[in-house]
Amino acid sequence: MKPKVAVFDFTGCEGCELNKLNFEDELLALLEHIDIVEWREAMDDKSDHYTIAIVEGSISTPDCVERIHDIRNRSEILIALGACAVQGGMNAMKNQYPLEQVREEVYGCHKDLFPTLPALPLSRYVRVDYEVRGCPMTKNEFLKILTSILMGKKPIKPTHAVCVECKLNENECVYDKGMVCLGPITRGGCDSLCTNFGQYCTGCRGLVDEPDVEAMLAILNRHGLSIVEAKKRLELFNYENQAL
Amino acid sequence: MMQIFKSIPENMEANLYLPSMGTITQTHNLTKKEKWFEIQMPETHSFSYNPGQFVEVSLFGVGEAPISITSAMKNPGLFEMTIRDVGVLTEKIHALNSGDLIGIRGPFGNGFDLKKFKGKDVLIVAGGIGLVPIRSLIHTILNDRKSYGRLIILYGTKSSQDLLYKSELDQWETHPGIEFQMTVDQPSPDWHGIVGVITTLIPSVTLDLENTVAAIVGPPVMYKFVLLSLLTKGLSDENIYLSLERRMKCGVGKCGHCQINHSLVCQDGPVYHYPELKKLQEALK
Amino acid sequence: MKQIFPLTFMTHNDIPHWISHLQKIENVIAPHKNGINSFSFGKVSDPKCVILNYDRTLSSIKKYFLPPKETLFSFSTDGKETTSSKVEPINAIFLGVHNYDLEAVFRLDHNFLSGHAESQYLTRRQGALFIGVSYTPDEWHFSNSVLKDGEPNHSGGFDLFLHEIEDGYLLETLTESGQNLMKGFPLPEFDGDIPKQQSFNAHIDGGFEKVTDVFSRAWDSPVWESYAEKCVGCGTCNLVCPTCFCFNVEDEVDLDLKTGNRIRTQDGCMLRSFSEVAGGEIFRNQKAARMRHRLYRKFKYISQETGESWCVGCGRCSAYCTAGISIVDIVNDLIHDSNREIGA
Repeated sequence: MKPKVAVFDFTGCEGCELNKLNFEDELLALLEHIDIVEWREAMDDKSDHYTIAIVEGSISTPDCVERIHDIRNRSEILIALGACAVQGGMNAMKNQYPLEQVREEVYGCHKDLFPTLPALPLSRYVRVDYEVRGCPMTKNEFLKILTSILMGKKPIKPTHAVCVECKLNENECVYDKGMVCLGPITRGGCDSLCTNFGQYCTGCRGLVDEPDVEAMLAILNRHGLSIVEAKKRLELFNYENQAL
Repeated sequence: MMQIFKSIPENMEANLYLPSMGTITQTHNLTKKEKWFEIQMPETHSFSYNPGQFVEVSLFGVGEAPISITSAMKNPGLFEMTIRDVGVLTEKIHALNSGDLIGIRGPFGNGFDLKKFKGKDVLIVAGGIGLVPIRSLIHTILNDRKSYGRLIILYGTKSSQDLLYKSELDQWETHPGIEFQMTVDQPSPDWHGIVGVITTLIPSVTLDLENTVAAIVGPPVMYKFVLLSLLTKGLSDENIYLSLERRMKCGVGKCGHCQINHSLVCQDGPVYHYPELKKLQEALK
Repeated sequence: MKQIFPLTFMTHNDIPHWISHLQKIENVIAPHKNGINSFSFGKVSDPKCVILNYDRTLSSIKKYFLPPKETLFSFSTDGKETTSSKVEPINAIFLGVHNYDLEAVFRLDHNFLSGHAESQYLTRRQGALFIGVSYTPDEWHFSNSVLKDGEPNHSGGFDLFLHEIEDGYLLETLTESGQNLMKGFPLPEFDGDIPKQQSFNAHIDGGFEKVTDVFSRAWDSPVWESYAEKCVGCGTCNLVCPTCFCFNVEDEVDLDLKTGNRIRTQDGCMLRSFSEVAGGEIFRNQKAARMRHRLYRKFKYISQETGESWCVGCGRCSAYCTAGISIVDIVNDLIHDSNREIGA
């Protein structure tokens, strides 16, 4: 029997999910090996049990908490999809303000209808088996991770910085173009997509293991950012990272 | 001297990284975690080895890992390996059975230099899964028993469930040509033998210090204590050989992963003469 | 070196015509502009886009012999079929190569020839011709501190060599292959001497002799830790190095789950996962230990066997270090630190 795959979304822009709909060719090949049983963006079917649950978005309301536990209980493998699900993403920026203030600003006089929690990665609530990082996640990495799982093998989690891929792609260093870049401390695996196109790395894939934040702040500082500005840069996608 | 490219060397292999396909001819489980395999390489593939060498084992789509040869060279192309299930690759190898194909490259590494052992008393100290590679040396000695002096084997594991090659251990206990002792660290109620870490076995062994060569294989933590114990006993550095485990990847001295100081374990090792090993600061840290 | 072939002269205007002439013989690979301030080797399509006056390229010509990523073989996941990837000789003229980059190729030759000769590298290495060009050392080059012949105008090993002078280039012909490349492109002979070398701005104090000496006792130096503090561990220094060749191997499976490829990608000893051993232990977990290993690889481990520095002084690892660490500074600090220790 083919593995049953379900897709769920929490707090996020759903960009990662839409991105998946964009790879029609590969999707058909994948359907040879899996059954998609639940996916709000694409279909209405339901199932009680999932071999693989792919979950996008961060957890930011009491309702989310209940749902993610329910999904975990019904899934063999849970994959966090995209920066929001893996690191809390940009949503986690709200966590630096008092929750009451955030509610008031967003919902005004209706705030009592919308209970809120700090925006947190899935892993703060449930066990996450695998991660597809990025904002949005990239097709190649998603397919690589999925084929690994279907082969019954643990997907390789990139541990190197974006700089590695950027150098292999022989890009001119972003710093040499007069911009600042979070590539040196950001987890690779994206094939340095942004810098390939002349952009700088915003750090959407989160930090490498055991990141040397002090050394990174010194680099940013040397290239013109104050320490406060440099920290803010790093926080954009990593507000919930304990290393910061 | 630096070698500069002039022309393609005559003996160059077509593709160093392409495995040959071996066929599994026999298997059985040794413990819950360890499984033994006998592999036959194709006749077209010349395959001979020394005790202490390793092969790179592949499952396509999963990956490749270095695995010690556990047998003594007998029929051409035939060898044995014992694999501990520690990850996805080894788990998938455990699922294989007789008749299945498996990718093999090698043998690689130096292995034990038998010239240094011949005519001498041989002391073997094996900790845990360290018995796997050193069994190749034990069998080699047993196959040519008269060329060696005493054969003393000290073997220690965590518990009696972890003991490998149990039926062989029984034979060794009664074998007239082997002085065999084993110990377990955490005994179960049915264990009636010696209890303690492997070094507990060393003080009671009497050695002809001038004429004994020791071979040690075990987990990294074991080396320091066993070495201390043997050196205290008066054995000299010159008479000690150790086999190291590092993350050997390419097996052919190219990828750089197994390097400790200047030494590539897949080329210069995995067996090291202790005086050489002492020069490698990264080796026994 | 004794000059066998006469020195000839080429104007700047001659260069594109000459490149077109070379293109009729073979593919030409030469430096081009890449980005705002950087350069890369690439196959020439328009000779006018070739830049001979450059400081350094982001990657060295190593990438043609040892691609950053390559398929070693294809397989069916059941193991019944395996097919080696076809590797072709490079057959190209490398134009505008600096002395240190050719020296780096010779070092890679050694690594891939010694022990088990590797067909992937050596097959590609066939049919490569090299035309060198002199350069003006910038703040990072230090080749003459480490190489026996590290001058920017040292032409040994090349087939042809261009010496930049005020109004053009002097062309030095060094091999018969080089001479053959010039057939059908006559140039006026030049009656004079090859211009003097440009001097370097960066130096290792005491040169390679001192380096060899210091690396015999630099193991426990506090210098490693002082630089490791600044290092962010991104691995750039390994990836831009023309003599780094370490790699990682992994299997990629196609979407049909029936076929796939075994791939190797360039790896680097400054990356934390590089020394992970079975069981997950990271053997060189400290950045200082990794930095020490990298420099020992460049200055001692292979050097003590071959007598040659495995660092060629190109300055890439310093010029491109995101944290602003210079390899020359590290080595000089090691030298000063050891001088202090022995009271010199």
